[in-house]
Amino acid sequence: MKKHQTSAAIISVLTLAACAVASATFLEHRKVEPIVSGPGVSEIAKLSKWYPGLAGTPADTDVYILRGKAPGASMLVLGGTHPNEPSGFLSAVLLIENAVPVSGTLYVIPRANNSGFSHNDPQEGAPTGYHFTLPDGQARFFRYGSRATNPVDQWPDPDVYIHAASGQALSGNETRNLNRGYPGRTDGTLTEKACYGITQLIRAEKISISIDLHEASPEYPVINAIVAHERAMPVASQVVLGLEFSDIKIGLEPSPKNLRGLTHRELGDATDTLAVLMETANASQGRLRGRTDEALVLTGIDPYYVKAQKLGRLYVPYDEKGHPIEERVGRHLTAIVEFALAMSSEYPDSPLEFQGVPEYQALAERGVGAFLRTAP
Amino acid sequence: MPFEFILFIAMVGVFAACAFAIKLPVSLSMLAASLTGLLLSGNGLGIRHLVEGTFGYVDTILVIATAMVFMRAVQESGALDALNVVIIKRFRTMPAVLLPLLMLVAMFPGMITGSSSASVLTAGAVVAPVLIILGLPVESAGAFIAMAGILGMIAPPVNIPAMIIGGGIDMPFVGFELPLLLLTMPLAIVFSLTLGLKHIKKVSWEELAPRLDLETYKRFGPRLFAPILVVAILMVLGKTVPQYFGMGLPLVFIIGAALACFAGKRFNPLKAAKSAVADALPVLGILAGVGMFIQVMTLTGVRGFIVVSALSVPPALLYAAIAITIPMFGAVSSFGASSVLGVPFLLALLGKNQIITAAALSLIASLGDFMPPTALSAIFAAQIVGVQKYSRVLKRLIIPSFVIIAWSLAFIIYSKQIAALY
Amino acid sequence: MKIIYLAIGASVLILTVWNLWTEKDWRKQATAAMVAVPLLLRVLLIK
Ligand SMILES: [Zn+2]
Repeated sequence: MKKHQTSAAIISVLTLAACAVASATFLEHRKVEPIVSGPGVSEIAKLSKWYPGLAGTPADTDVYILRGKAPGASMLVLGGTHPNEPSGFLSAVLLIENAVPVSGTLYVIPRANNSGFSHNDPQEGAPTGYHFTLPDGQARFFRYGSRATNPVDQWPDPDVYIHAASGQALSGNETRNLNRGYPGRTDGTLTEKACYGITQLIRAEKISISIDLHEASPEYPVINAIVAHERAMPVASQVVLGLEFSDIKIGLEPSPKNLRGLTHRELGDATDTLAVLMETANASQGRLRGRTDEALVLTGIDPYYVKAQKLGRLYVPYDEKGHPIEERVGRHLTAIVEFALAMSSEYPDSPLEFQGVPEYQALAERGVGAFLRTAP
Repeated sequence: MPFEFILFIAMVGVFAACAFAIKLPVSLSMLAASLTGLLLSGNGLGIRHLVEGTFGYVDTILVIATAMVFMRAVQESGALDALNVVIIKRFRTMPAVLLPLLMLVAMFPGMITGSSSASVLTAGAVVAPVLIILGLPVESAGAFIAMAGILGMIAPPVNIPAMIIGGGIDMPFVGFELPLLLLTMPLAIVFSLTLGLKHIKKVSWEELAPRLDLETYKRFGPRLFAPILVVAILMVLGKTVPQYFGMGLPLVFIIGAALACFAGKRFNPLKAAKSAVADALPVLGILAGVGMFIQVMTLTGVRGFIVVSALSVPPALLYAAIAITIPMFGAVSSFGASSVLGVPFLLALLGKNQIITAAALSLIASLGDFMPPTALSAIFAAQIVGVQKYSRVLKRLIIPSFVIIAWSLAFIIYSKQIAALY
Repeated sequence: MKIIYLAIGASVLILTVWNLWTEKDWRKQATAAMVAVPLLLRVLLIK
């Protein structure tokens, strides 16, 4: 063997070893974490039930249906539209594991972009997941995913993403962003098909109100806020007042007319549902964050965000206590309960009432782990 | 002193030591710096992070590799030499028209694709030999096409840095065409003349003819140019009717390369492709290394330290911070600078006209393609004009770069007045 | 389209590895290896 072949062989072996180590992590990321059905869950369906084109694809995802004893309105909660925004996903999980509808029906899609949970965004240095300890000592692990569909499932991106219904141009990587693809279409990308499935579910089940749960980076102007389609404004305004009553400050913004492909715009335009989106503050997806790890995801404690707050660069208060996941999930869940109340008062003929949803104070005191069920 | 600052110094120090003292290639120096950051921050070897970071550029790697293969094929077929003959024969007597025209030709692929590398590697490779024959020194010819690359990247209809900056505050890429034209076209004309006009010599056709390859065109005729034409058409169709022709640059270049195998002189396609990739590997390696470096900077908090430091300059120095930090951070990539710094700076400038400000920030971010060690635009330009050290090309770009920064800042400062103009 | 791009990725990967084995300088070999990593894992649909 010549000398340069020896070095080529050594380099190849080292490279393959590095690939093997990394691949093990990447493949492990595809393992779906369990969600334990609580007493309210009456059925688990697949999204492909409403759009069969999704069957067998990585975009097909679980739909948890919680039917109340009494009839009433229906609510759809989308968690995990952006799998790098954990409070949305965890709020959906806590609804599934705890909520019991008294009247009306609750539909929960915890992993709206199912494919996005199976990988991390390059160059973000995100942890693969985070843990909660249950009262019985069990540790539940949940994946921290990417903002977008896994390129393994949808590739390549075009240079420019054109929103099909409007012709609006966005940066090409937005092609894999679920919240730019609504109302979706059957002859589009996998992401657009997932959007279409969700739109079809809303049409078929005549969903009264759809709530899309998000988080935003603290330097982003729309944060700790509700963004509402114009038809959802009256209900959303009641929710803002209701939350004010429990000392939760939340902003209310009308859905911009010229920003296309988002739930609060397209679902409201394409279906009869009242469409809203909610944001909490997540440092682990921000551009100003320091060290990125599981602790940052769960606590939001970050010296650089504290500094940025002092510089007046942020749109949420930010101090050394950060924004713990309990606070962020608590905001989402309290608002969801308020939305049910507001729907019942706005449309008394079709009430919507849930019990068992973890309360803001209880979450803050006992932690998210106290409201998770033991996984088999 | 924050730990992130120490980490940053350590990473940059290891990079400099490897690149300058041990003379490792930039790619391996980046790898060493990333490993240093991982080890010092208690992340172990962090193999997952090193590998994951490279994926930020996997699409760019394919674009550059296929563009190089295409250009090699066109060159081997004899089309480049023949094209020079045609252009020079037509336009050699009117340099003041020819230079801006060549600038526009060299910008075109960048305007359509949003990639400066695509511009430099394709149209730049066509234009550069013409400039050299007309009398420009190789460094100036390199600077000319490198400048065309970044101006093309920023000029409409496609400007990816502006899309990234706008996307960060949920602003759709609408209404950018006019501001971007106002930003780029005056610069294109001015730079094409300042870089070229003084060097152009009036030479007779009889003097030039012996230095040109007249044979190939005589033998094959216009069909030599079919691959270039097809690639140009596919790029335009990809932009105008993306629903049918949105096949992406790599596929366009592969189709062009395949055509070039049959359009002119015969050559061994496998060998040409292999050596084209060999030429591209140093740059592709830098991209992989930079990907690792950014991932480790983000993971360890160094990125946050840099961004917050840039934002903490007093408001009076905000413009200075923009002028310095965005091009500097562009060393990792102009897209990276747009996302990491362009978005926070746009948020800091909320009182200005958002579209013009984002457009101007994107022009400043494009300078990242001149910033070593990545300096994609300059490195490719040097490769195309056959200059060993790309720093010789860069030297000619220093003054134009300052002009670009000043021009962009003027657009930001007077954004409202400019918006009122149209 | 995905299949075509996987094929393009595989072609660039093969050319890269070919260069790795014919290149005389170990530094350039290592650079080729760094480029091969994302191409290999994408072509294998791992990442
Ligand atoms: Zn989101």
